[in-house]
Formats: sequence, structure tokens, C-alpha cells
Amino acid sequence: MVYVKWFFRIVAFVLVFGTLGYVLPRHDVARITGTEVIRMDFSSFNRMFYAQSDSGNVEGETRDLRLINTYKRKTWLFGFIPRDSYGVMVYRNEDTGWIWPPYFKFDSSDLQAEASNLQSTAADPQWVVITQYGWRNRFFTIYPNAIAIRPIDSPDDSPFPWFNVFFFVFVGVAWLFIRAMWRQFRERSVDPAMERAGEAWDAADAQIDERRGRFRKWLDSWKSKPKRY
Amino acid sequence: MNLVRLVVFGFIGLSIVYGLVWLYSRSVRREKLEKAWEADNPEGGDPEARARYVEEGMQDYHSSIRPKLILLVYIIPAAMVIAVLILTNWN
Repeated sequence: MVYVKWFFRIVAFVLVFGTLGYVLPRHDVARITGTEVIRMDFSSFNRMFYAQSDSGNVEGETRDLRLINTYKRKTWLFGFIPRDSYGVMVYRNEDTGWIWPPYFKFDSSDLQAEASNLQSTAADPQWVVITQYGWRNRFFTIYPNAIAIRPIDSPDDSPFPWFNVFFFVFVGVAWLFIRAMWRQFRERSVDPAMERAGEAWDAADAQIDERRGRFRKWLDSWKSKPKRY
Repeated sequence: MNLVRLVVFGFIGLSIVYGLVWLYSRSVRREKLEKAWEADNPEGGDPEARARYVEEGMQDYHSSIRPKLILLVYIIPAAMVIAVLILTNWN
């Protein structure tokens, strides 16, 4: 039983933090080396790691996907600790549309143009901050989605994740609020109802006892009286 | 079509939140009034006067600005959607 409980706890933890780690925005410091468009033939598995086609278009079996090739500064701990090593990184550039994740991005074409504009060489680098969500996985062929690109002066100018800080503060406040609501509901509605139910139960119990007592008395009246000699 | 879906399901979800917050806020106010009555009348006082006091307090609450502030449950998320929409697509 203990194992089952821990199993479900771990699954819930992985699901919640996996989803948040996928969906919350992160900032990467990178240098754009090129942009390209490839045709994607989604499999049923990796389809869920892509958004839908551009918001004005219809959804097809396959479609073209905008990619941004970069040379990115590596980090530890979800981008909090910048490292001194660099590596290549490829981002997709897709409309998220109205639904999920709620970035409401409709400007993929403009972002692609911006990426082309900020393209630079190693000899004359133009560093940028790419806001992105998602994962890069080579085995499943999935890419993080670039949301915004902003030029910066040096690769040390990595921004502070204000949004994520506010998001977790909000989650904490919401949790306390829900707990307060639940306690109020229990104190004002559930407990009095239970009390009333308990009282009603006691009353019914007493009544049954009394009836049984009367019945028993009536039964007893049929018994032969102790004989008086 | 996706916009319609967002609006419809967003409205349903926020309405549930609105209803819960409305009930909670009312319950907290009623409890506060009952506690205030108990502080003024440690022996309990007249039950009818107590009921009247609480009902009047609840009427004052319903005509005050506080229950209207719960409408922010709809306004803040809508404003946030618009803000994110502008920030994401601004060039």
C-alpha cells in the first residue's frame, strides 16, 4: 500500500513538473547562425510536441516547419547558472494560436524575419536572447519553440526570469487561498451538517431503543409470571 | 474557431471560480458578523435580534463594493490574455 501511494505521488510530481518545465518560458543566450524551413512528417508520438499550423491555415497531415539554427551558451539548472561552454541549438518557430500553451503567438513569419535580420558570424557576433519553451530531443525529433528574440550586447546579459518568479508566487497564493476556502467550507458547512446528522442519528437511535424497550416489555408480558407460592 | 473555444471554456472555468469565491467571501463576512455579535453579547443575547443584526450586515455587504470586486476574477485573466497577446506579437 505504501508503495502504491508513493508510486502515485511520484507520477503526479513528474507530470506536474514535467508539464511546467515544458510550458514555462526560458531565456537562452545565443547567436543566430541561420534560418530554414523543412517539411515535417509527424509521427503519432512526436505530433503532440508541435503546435498546430499557422492560425489562418487549415491543419494538414504534413507541413513546413520554420527552424532557427543557433549557437547557444550552455547553462545549468534551467538557465539559472550560465556556463562558459557553447553548443549548437535548433529552435522551431510555430504559432501557438489561441489554445495551448497560452503564449498567443501569431507572428511566426515576423519572428523568422527578425531571426534572419539578427543572423551573424563568429567573427562579428550579434548576441540575442531567445525566449522559448519546450524541449530539444534528437531521438523524437522535437524542438523548443521560439517565442521572442531580442538583441543584446554581450553573452553575459542573461535576463532574470521575472515571469517564472511571479508564476510560482501566484501558484503559492492560489494554494493558500484554496486551502482557506476549503477550511471555511468545512468549518461552516460540513461540520455543522455532520453535527446535525450526528444529533439526528442519536435521536433515531434513542427512539429505536425506546421502541425496542416497549416491544420487549410487551413480549415479556406474555411470559409466565414468576409463580407465587 | 479556437478563439470561440477559448472564450467559451474560459468563461465556464472562470464562472466556477467566481461562484466559489462569491460563496467564500459571503461565508467569511457572515462569520465575522456572528463573531462581532458574540463579542458584544457574551451571553448570546436575543436570537431574533442576532438574526436581524446578521441579516442587516449581510445586506450592507451585498450593497458594498466588495462583492463587485469578485468580478476581477473575469477581468484580470482577460486583461492578461490581451497583455500577453500584445507582448508576444509586438515587433
